[in-house]
Amino acid sequence: MNWLTNTIGASVGKKLMMAITGLGFCCFLTIHLAGNLTIYGGKDFFNSYVDHLHSLGPLVTLAELGLLFFATLHILTGTLLFYQNFKARPIRYSVNKRAGGRTLGSATMPYTGFILLLFVIFHLLNLHFVDKTNTTTFQLLSSSFANPVYIFIYTFAVIIAAIHVSHGLWSAFQTLGVDHPKYTPFIRGLSIVFSVAIGIGFGFIPIYISLLI
Amino acid sequence: MQLDAKIPSGPLAEKWDKHRFELKLVNPANKRKYNIIVVGTGLAGGSAAASLAELGYYVKNFCIQDSPRRAHSIAAQGGINAAKNYQNDGDSIWRLFYDTIKGGDFRAREANVYRLAQVSNNIIDHCVAQGIPFAREYGGLLANRSFGGAQVSRTFYARGQTGQQLLLGAYSSLMRQVAAGQVTMFPRREMLDIVVINGQARGIVVRNLITGEIESHAADAVVLCTGGYANVFYLSTNAMASNVSATFRAYKKGAFFANPCYTQIHPTCIPVHGTYQSKLTLMSESLRNDGRVWVPKIPGDKRPPNQIPESERDYYLEEKYPSFGNLVPRDVASRNAKAQCDMGKGVEETGFAVYLDFADAIKRDGKEVIEQKYGNLFQMYEKITASNPYEEPMVIFPASHYVMGGLWVDYNLMSNLDGLFVMGEANFSDHGANRLGASALMQGLADGYFVIPYTIGGYLAGTDRPEITTDHPAFKEATHYVTERTRKLLSINGKRTVDDIHRQLGQILWEYCGMSRNDEGLLKARKLIQELREEFWKNAMVPGSSEDFNQSLERAGRVADFLEFAELLVIDAFERKESCGGHFNEAYQTEEHEARRDDENFCHVAAWEYKGDDKDPELYKESLVFENVTLTQRSYK
Amino acid sequence: MTKNINITLKVWRQKGPNVKGGFETYHATNISTDMSFLEMVDVVNEQLTLDGKDPIAFDHDCREGICGMCGAVINGRSHGPEKGTTLCQLHMRHFSNGDTIVIEPWRAKAFPIVKDLVVDRSAFDQIILAGGYISVNTGGAPDANSIPIAQEIAELAMDAAACIGCGACVAACPNASAMLFTGAKISQLALLPQGKPEAANRALAMVNKMDELCFGNCSNERECEAECPKEISISNIARLNREFVKAGLVSVVK
Repeated sequence: MNWLTNTIGASVGKKLMMAITGLGFCCFLTIHLAGNLTIYGGKDFFNSYVDHLHSLGPLVTLAELGLLFFATLHILTGTLLFYQNFKARPIRYSVNKRAGGRTLGSATMPYTGFILLLFVIFHLLNLHFVDKTNTTTFQLLSSSFANPVYIFIYTFAVIIAAIHVSHGLWSAFQTLGVDHPKYTPFIRGLSIVFSVAIGIGFGFIPIYISLLI
Repeated sequence: MQLDAKIPSGPLAEKWDKHRFELKLVNPANKRKYNIIVVGTGLAGGSAAASLAELGYYVKNFCIQDSPRRAHSIAAQGGINAAKNYQNDGDSIWRLFYDTIKGGDFRAREANVYRLAQVSNNIIDHCVAQGIPFAREYGGLLANRSFGGAQVSRTFYARGQTGQQLLLGAYSSLMRQVAAGQVTMFPRREMLDIVVINGQARGIVVRNLITGEIESHAADAVVLCTGGYANVFYLSTNAMASNVSATFRAYKKGAFFANPCYTQIHPTCIPVHGTYQSKLTLMSESLRNDGRVWVPKIPGDKRPPNQIPESERDYYLEEKYPSFGNLVPRDVASRNAKAQCDMGKGVEETGFAVYLDFADAIKRDGKEVIEQKYGNLFQMYEKITASNPYEEPMVIFPASHYVMGGLWVDYNLMSNLDGLFVMGEANFSDHGANRLGASALMQGLADGYFVIPYTIGGYLAGTDRPEITTDHPAFKEATHYVTERTRKLLSINGKRTVDDIHRQLGQILWEYCGMSRNDEGLLKARKLIQELREEFWKNAMVPGSSEDFNQSLERAGRVADFLEFAELLVIDAFERKESCGGHFNEAYQTEEHEARRDDENFCHVAAWEYKGDDKDPELYKESLVFENVTLTQRSYK
Repeated sequence: MTKNINITLKVWRQKGPNVKGGFETYHATNISTDMSFLEMVDVVNEQLTLDGKDPIAFDHDCREGICGMCGAVINGRSHGPEKGTTLCQLHMRHFSNGDTIVIEPWRAKAFPIVKDLVVDRSAFDQIILAGGYISVNTGGAPDANSIPIAQEIAELAMDAAACIGCGACVAACPNASAMLFTGAKISQLALLPQGKPEAANRALAMVNKMDELCFGNCSNERECEAECPKEISISNIARLNREFVKAGLVSVVK
């Protein structure tokens, strides 16, 4: 198995892990968003979706463990890359100017990533690791979003996530070596569309719920 | 002393084969016992170091730049000739040989040039195998283009970066040998002296350009591939670090310097714009296919070109050479541009430029066709001059570009000093008095890949050499000499910068020993050079110390050598009482002002031996014998 | 139009690799806008020499944009503000009278400073040495036309091969990564049939060497592509990634 550790231990290998796990999160976000959109079908429709999801039992646990594994990889590798990249230039430039390659997303990846980590912990504490015996998920949401601070936190985090994936998605393809003069423009476009979809799709839910109350 | 070129006997086409068979071989097991020093990492040096290492020799390779990939061969644009005849247009080894001999104005050795044409095909094969991305046809086969007036299409190219690609190919082979431990690289080293023991070249003394340390290296043979001396003119198309020092040091240690007066001036360069210009940029010769060269008829006419009516323009090349027009050879085009400017008809603020006008070509073929042909050149021109050649005529002027002269070598590429081999532009051997386009790359690689691997074996197997280390007194002596010279340079403490003096040297040579020369001017130049040299050693200002990275000191050492070498160049030009190729003496021209050779008295190589700082060098002549071609006079009317 | 301008330079001066460096301010007066940037530095250096001061050390050689020797960060931009231009081909007409220009050396752990603006780029040679070649000895090659190569492929290989090894990609990369340099060489040789036999070995060896030399990791910021004087595309980095994954996971090379 030397060959495997050698491959994923190299700079390109580490990036590869970021790409694969990142793409995993993009899939997760898509499913998560699809589920969340049931909220627009009304309280009962949403709750029935949640119940249906929970009825999957061990599969959910498995998926959760998978996500946890991916997250661990993504965070640890990302941190290592950040540290190595920082060390690669011990003396910084006194004047910094972009040449046109960097974007808001690419320039802030480690920072948006870190904010997202904090948000995910908060999000799980808020909605996952709570006593749900006497309440529905919808009620949990309603009570959370009654508080404007929560609305702000969620909306802000969603914007951060959109920025993160605006670079992350095409970057993952590039790292995987998926590059072709015919398809690369499409992939770049897809990243932008995806990040906007994530931003709008998730971002309006807290506002929508708060309006329902 | 009789100069023996050691040309093998027999029919021309069989000489090289015969010679290769006759050369002694070194047993494979013995090769690793031999150390070879290669100075320079250009096409000749890089390819030689790599090929010798592949054979099993242990090679030490030196270069002045921070990496062997940066030698000035990298700047060659056009291409590399080979007699492949892929185009079925009548090319052959014989034709390439003949074109090269004739292009050199019959001042090169038949045997050397024939061998060059023979191995040219192997070069292309090897370079393709190295992964060099030559231009290709749609069918996937190699593309060719015409070049430099040849009537066949035999030039292989990689966009406008052929030199770069060939050099990086040689560099990659070299790096492979470094990885294998067969070559040790010594970048940022400048050769300051050569060590000759019992008449054999046995090592070199170099300065480590980062630490300033003087290092000694011993070897069984020394191969100099240190390029040409065009920078003696200060402004040239050569790289800033290109210099004569290595070959000149060898000359001072007894190697003969051959034909220094053969310098090539390229007609289409971007003109000088001001005093602080540091170098000249070449624009491809192909531009003259469609551009028309002209100057205003009235001297001193300062109107913008577009306001000068047709009737007041002097298309001097078309008028003077109706059949060749703007396509006359390099030397003719250059000389005529100078003549026009000397009459005060030059354009631009400096008065040292002529127009190269594409207006008619654009009118005739449309802008698109011209853009397709020359788009990248026009872009490069606009980047440098900020003027748009589609709207305004280009301004061009000749510039020093290449030198045919160099250290004298025999058929084995060995100088008159045993064990000192000289290759590429640094030797004098293959281009006679004038080099054709796309032939420099061919020669460098031929020497390095396909000649030296054989001939050096013959030398090593055929001579006795005592065991020598750098503890030998000759190394101590050379080190002392070098250190002393450095100390002297740093202690001048004068008032003029080295660049300033170099600039003046360039002006002297350009004026009196440039495109056209005359006896009076040459005598004057010699005197001016002597005076300037004296001033240099009294009044130059070389800051810093010898013990660290000191670019001013590097330059000072090179300019000091140029100041001595320039005199040799002028002496050689004075002695050659004829005009041929890159050497034009005004006293020897036809009625139509073309170069007139004197085959009776000057069909020889002029090789100069150093006799001491205060003495004139001694001339040795190697007669050139032409058994296979008839000497003819060029005419372009 | 030619005119003369006056500018202020803030230049990084550092006597040696282990000495502390800092910015020095110089005034360059009467600079013709036709001069190249390096000629402007020449003028400043002549003046420094005449004033008995140490001239600014900087690497340069061909001054026509092909040797890759020159390079510095000018106001935060590698090789200055012009696209597809080396420092030696940058002209002063792109600056205005009264400008202040900050000149810094390439900054990367893998490129230690030698003196002032001169850095040691031998790490690039090390990367090539690890496998940036085709193992062919002189003399054994078949006829050059024995293997046809599609024109499009030859052109792509040439696009990658145009790299001059100047180091601007590393200097411009926010992570000081050498992926564009390495990717260009791996691409050139992987595209051509002659390079295919060693492709897997090459990809592994060159990437490992690059990592070992402490270059940063690529995060697809695309600054390298934007600053490359030869405008080499990051498609070459994608190809490197592909070649590396293939080599690491599916090739028989260990």
